[in-house]
Amino acid sequence: MTRDLACASGVDLLMDYLEDALPKDLRDRIESHVAACERCTAFVASYRETPRIVREATSFEMPPELEESLMVFLRGRR
Amino acid sequence: MRGLENAGSETPDEFLVGLFLAGDEMAFERLVVRHRQRVFRLARRLLGDESDAQDVTQETFIQVYRKLSSFRHESLFSTWLYRIATNAALMRRRAHSRRKTESLDSFEPRFDDTGTHAATAAELSIPSLLEEALDARILAERVQAAVDRLPDLYRRPFVLRDLEELDTAQVAELLGLQVATVRQRVHRARILLRGYLSSLKEVKP
Repeated sequence: MTRDLACASGVDLLMDYLEDALPKDLRDRIESHVAACERCTAFVASYRETPRIVREATSFEMPPELEESLMVFLRGRR
Repeated sequence: MRGLENAGSETPDEFLVGLFLAGDEMAFERLVVRHRQRVFRLARRLLGDESDAQDVTQETFIQVYRKLSSFRHESLFSTWLYRIATNAALMRRRAHSRRKTESLDSFEPRFDDTGTHAATAAELSIPSLLEEALDARILAERVQAAVDRLPDLYRRPFVLRDLEELDTAQVAELLGLQVATVRQRVHRARILLRGYLSSLKEVKP
């Protein structure tokens, strides 16, 4: 790790960093820290992967019986 | 979600709302057919239970039908619809006062006195073959159970922002929160779920 930023501070700022909500000097410090820190490199990669893995694992399809009950509701309305 | 449902030349939601309010009942049916899968998936992710999610989807469209005349176009129709679905899911969760789930706090990253990661790079990574190593159904169950273990405060913004892929400002509007608060809560959910996923490397398929 570089002297000016600890892993813990970088972790706290990660979402703001990824949403481009940090001032440039702080962005630069995070980038230089991560580039030099293999633990943070692994952490950032897994942090970025998390939403995709959870999203794909929970892409539940609507069951056919719900489609039917919604049609019953739609017909009943007329 | 912005742009996904209305991509290409598809009639915008807001136009269908206008048609419905002018007496075209078929326009409402088109809105239901267009959004039912996403509303179901949102409810399923927020509730963790298929049967509850079906009920909430049905309740959502009944409420939408009743309230559509009061839709003021102050937000996108999809934001308004998602707000109704999210609130219906919250009501359902409270009504069922679920069993206490174990917190995910033990999956937080640990640091030494200098603020350096205590875990090694290998321990911090999510196994690259995780999705291949675990049967899709088992992975879905485990991941949904972990989402279920998030406090409500984090689960809702996380599901809307990261799973339904609304932008942060839209989630803030929908939940009545500041953008910075949404970021903070989504971040917290990601931190906990990241730790959980990286722990799955010990699990045999």
